[in-house]
Amino acid sequence: MDIFANLAHGFAVALSPINLLMCLIGALVGTLVGVLPGIGTIATVAMLLPITFGLPPVGALIMLAGIYYGAQYGGSTTSILVNIPGEATSVVTAIDGHQMAKQGRAGPALAIAAIGSFFAGCVATVLIAVLGAPLTKLALAFGPAEYFSLMVLGLIFAVVLAKGSVLKAIAMIVFGLLLSMVGSDIETGASRMAFNIPELADGLGFATVAMGVFGFAEIIRNLDAGAEMNRDLVQQKITGLMPTKKDLIDSTPPILRGTVLGSILGILPGGGAVIASFAAYTLEKKLAKDPKRFGRGAIEGVAAPESANNAAAQTSFIPLLTLGIPPNAVMALMVGAMTIHGIVPGPQVMQKQPDLVWGMIASMWIGNLMLIIINLPLVGIWVRLLRVPYRLMFPSIVIFCAIGIYSVNNAPVDVILAGVFGLVGYWLIKHDFEPAPLLLGMVLGPLMEENLRRALLISRGDWSVFLTRPLSAVLLAISFGLLLLTVLPALRAKRDEVFTESEN
Amino acid sequence: MTSIRALATGACAAAIASLCAFVAPSEAQTYPTRGITMIVPFAAGGPTDVISRIVTSHMAQTLGQSIIIENVVGAGGTTATTRAARAANDGYTLITGHMGTHAASVPLYPKLAYHPEKDFEPVALLAGTPILILARKDFPPKDLKEFVAYVKANAEKVNAAHAGVGSVSHVSCELLHSILDIKPVGVPFNGTGPAMNALVAGQVDYMCDQIVNAVPQINAGTIKAYAIATPERNPSLPNVPTTIEAGLPNFQAQAWNAMFAPKGTSPAIIASLNAAVIKALDDETVKKRLLELGSVIPAPKDRTPEALATLVKNEIAKWSPVLKPAT
Amino acid sequence: MAETMGHSATATRNTSVAIGFCLLAIVPQIFEFIWSIGTIFGWGAGRGPATVLISHATALVAGAPAALIGAAGGETKKASSEVLLALIYSYPILAVAIVSLFMTIRSAQDYVGGVILMAVALFALWASSDLQGMRGFSFGAGTAPRMFGGLLVALSAGIALTGLLTDGPGMSHYSWRGPLFVMAGIVFFALAIRPLGLVVTAFASFMIAATGSNETRWLEAAVVGACLTLGCAILFPYVLGLPMPMFPRFLVQ
Repeated sequence: MDIFANLAHGFAVALSPINLLMCLIGALVGTLVGVLPGIGTIATVAMLLPITFGLPPVGALIMLAGIYYGAQYGGSTTSILVNIPGEATSVVTAIDGHQMAKQGRAGPALAIAAIGSFFAGCVATVLIAVLGAPLTKLALAFGPAEYFSLMVLGLIFAVVLAKGSVLKAIAMIVFGLLLSMVGSDIETGASRMAFNIPELADGLGFATVAMGVFGFAEIIRNLDAGAEMNRDLVQQKITGLMPTKKDLIDSTPPILRGTVLGSILGILPGGGAVIASFAAYTLEKKLAKDPKRFGRGAIEGVAAPESANNAAAQTSFIPLLTLGIPPNAVMALMVGAMTIHGIVPGPQVMQKQPDLVWGMIASMWIGNLMLIIINLPLVGIWVRLLRVPYRLMFPSIVIFCAIGIYSVNNAPVDVILAGVFGLVGYWLIKHDFEPAPLLLGMVLGPLMEENLRRALLISRGDWSVFLTRPLSAVLLAISFGLLLLTVLPALRAKRDEVFTESEN
Repeated sequence: MTSIRALATGACAAAIASLCAFVAPSEAQTYPTRGITMIVPFAAGGPTDVISRIVTSHMAQTLGQSIIIENVVGAGGTTATTRAARAANDGYTLITGHMGTHAASVPLYPKLAYHPEKDFEPVALLAGTPILILARKDFPPKDLKEFVAYVKANAEKVNAAHAGVGSVSHVSCELLHSILDIKPVGVPFNGTGPAMNALVAGQVDYMCDQIVNAVPQINAGTIKAYAIATPERNPSLPNVPTTIEAGLPNFQAQAWNAMFAPKGTSPAIIASLNAAVIKALDDETVKKRLLELGSVIPAPKDRTPEALATLVKNEIAKWSPVLKPAT
Repeated sequence: MAETMGHSATATRNTSVAIGFCLLAIVPQIFEFIWSIGTIFGWGAGRGPATVLISHATALVAGAPAALIGAAGGETKKASSEVLLALIYSYPILAVAIVSLFMTIRSAQDYVGGVILMAVALFALWASSDLQGMRGFSFGAGTAPRMFGGLLVALSAGIALTGLLTDGPGMSHYSWRGPLFVMAGIVFFALAIRPLGLVVTAFASFMIAATGSNETRWLEAAVVGACLTLGCAILFPYVLGLPMPMFPRFLVQ
């Protein structure tokens, strides 16, 4: 019954007018940041940190948390409408979401993303309140070996979500891994493949590459002669704004499964939340009766990853609230916000700062409610945005992307690099390579390499750690099984093809 | 409610101040006549950033101009420091340097695009963060003496965590290892958070880290601290002995943070900035907030630009034999 | 009859593919040469164009074969970066170019895509060739890049092979106007944002990018561009608080 008392206390804190206002501001700014391509959550939270100086600590953190999960809501909007994922977690949403938009179903896609996120957010908030403390053990059970195996599993997911050739998908992942290695080596500090360009010293930014291969490449492709026809078609086809009854029935199980997966993976510091969205997508694709629909506008392909990433965004607060250890860069900034206010988060923060912890948990639920109230009516406006003639739309997207990328590090070179990746992305499209596995390889690459090297350092070069540690062994076994499931049908198909040809 | 009023008053004051500055720029030729940019070479919310913010928010009142903090992250802080070294030396671009950017980087990066002594004018030391020797809670040694014996005997087996090449935790652990004359395996993590997570989970054996990150974990008993590498004990951890008391007097390390201006900034500007820093450090609220972080506030004799110049010189000399080039 | 026609068609096609690959084989060298021209005008540091030209030419023509013979003879002299580039990157691609001449390409999309990807992988292998490898049980800085570089070479060779063995789509059409002007807009933005500020840069980049489409109506674009610029000038610096120069530097001071 302790939990109810705590939650009641939390709601009392969160429902005070000033905190409600902070929550609303956070949700609004978060949505805005998520919708604007290129502007990352990290950059915004960093920029807004000084403002929180003048606010009471609880209000400040409620606002920052609102920006964080609000951006997860907003991020799906650009992914669906213009195929530009602003965060690693919305790469997967772009695959089927943008296809739906092209079929005139942007409204249902956006609505289902909001509904899924809301549901997942509610469940995950309850989970934090009820199981936060025991779940912390999971975060501590994951050592370098387990993380490496998890990343391998993540990369296999990336293969599964490709809709074309498996060989090409694997090649794209490896290309992404190579790109992720540009920059300083974590262990020795040596500069790798950076050609003495200072801006490359810390590697290629996710936003830079994502804006390039998704955003700019899509624009350039749409400007190709002959592409006008398709575009006009999209604009005429827009049908209902809200999902149909069938959409809702189809999406319910994916939302439930996505929420569960996301909640579990979100707890893992460093990379768990990133994997959540495509783990959910892969699961749906494998469970679907007709996996071919995926990548061609399946509503499940939007519902599942969106629920998963929002659930993960919420549960990723668990390590912060119970251990005092920030699991990702945004959380690290929140720790900064707490330290500025003289609260140093640690394992005892739940006992010492009940106002802060329970107020924040309660505000997450309120924030999710606000977000769905803000976002559902916005669907109509976003969809209307698609009716803007493309000749005006595309230069605007270019400018928004350029400003967004520039603002991440205030580095003009990043903008040029994004342009170069736009050309790379154009080339990829022309040769039927998919950009999503590339981006996922790039995001997971550093995590995989670092943890592999850490695990081998700790085991003194003994590779068997990956199999002797039970969690790691299970993860590797799942990866292997999944790879077999994916590659075998493809091989069989190839062989059949070869046989039919030789008969001719 | 009070906070809102304070905010409003602050905003009004700022508006009036900027209006005045706008109306009479030619009359008020005294520095500063516009906002100052303070580059912080690390992410917002880190120890260097928090110290800079606390001190500059008070300095802004003294100087009558806003001080905007710009966080420029990358390459262990050297990206930002390079930018600051090349900035105009008009006193409107300053940087918070620390032990890494203005000392350890010299031996660590032979191709460094700046030199801490040649490219900067020292302004003032802001605050130092003491470094602790920490270990997982079930690590066998009970005190520092046992720790030294254990680590020396098991140098092949123990794992030291650090937060990446060039980080305070890496650099200070290298110093410890060179004093003990051992070369244990150093396991790199991507920042202090993940390193602390691994220490709490018991995946690594020990690490050296700044006091800010460690205090709550030590108090909760999730990790243990052997010693603090400063001459005096710290009020936030009164039970942790100093390295001198515990028998390793040579291990003295502090992540100092200091303000620098690009080379050639006029002495008058340096003097007024230095005075503003000293005034901030003497302010009771600033003092209280810095002490809450476990920081060490420099003694009056260490607050002059000359003292900072000496500190930088000594620190470069201290780290050069300890650290190997990264490439 | 039909077969001979088809054959001659692929033959002409293969020559152009082979010539394309030959060019691809020296892209890094050409790029460094173009880059080095900038040093004449004092942009950036580095070697002058003449040095670049001579060092690469000697490496390609003489240095690399000599290094190959030397390696065969058991010599272990450290090769220069140009020679390594020729050995690791240029020669394999040139070899592929020659092989292409004698192959029937059944899917140009896969074949050309695979070979270009292979070029990227080989380039990555060269770029990481100066990094340290394994040190005892621990990975060096270069271990992982080389591992994945090698893997990508194998995978892209597989893709290229698919293009030779199975039928598939040919090369798609590339247009030039869209990419050119969109890129020009982006590059202009990058170069101008610091000196000219957000207002001028955003508007100018908008107009440059808009040139990329033949549907653009100038008056309409200028009006929308101006509104967008105004919106950005309010949104980014004020609402989101991103520090950004607003107006040209020479006007402010």
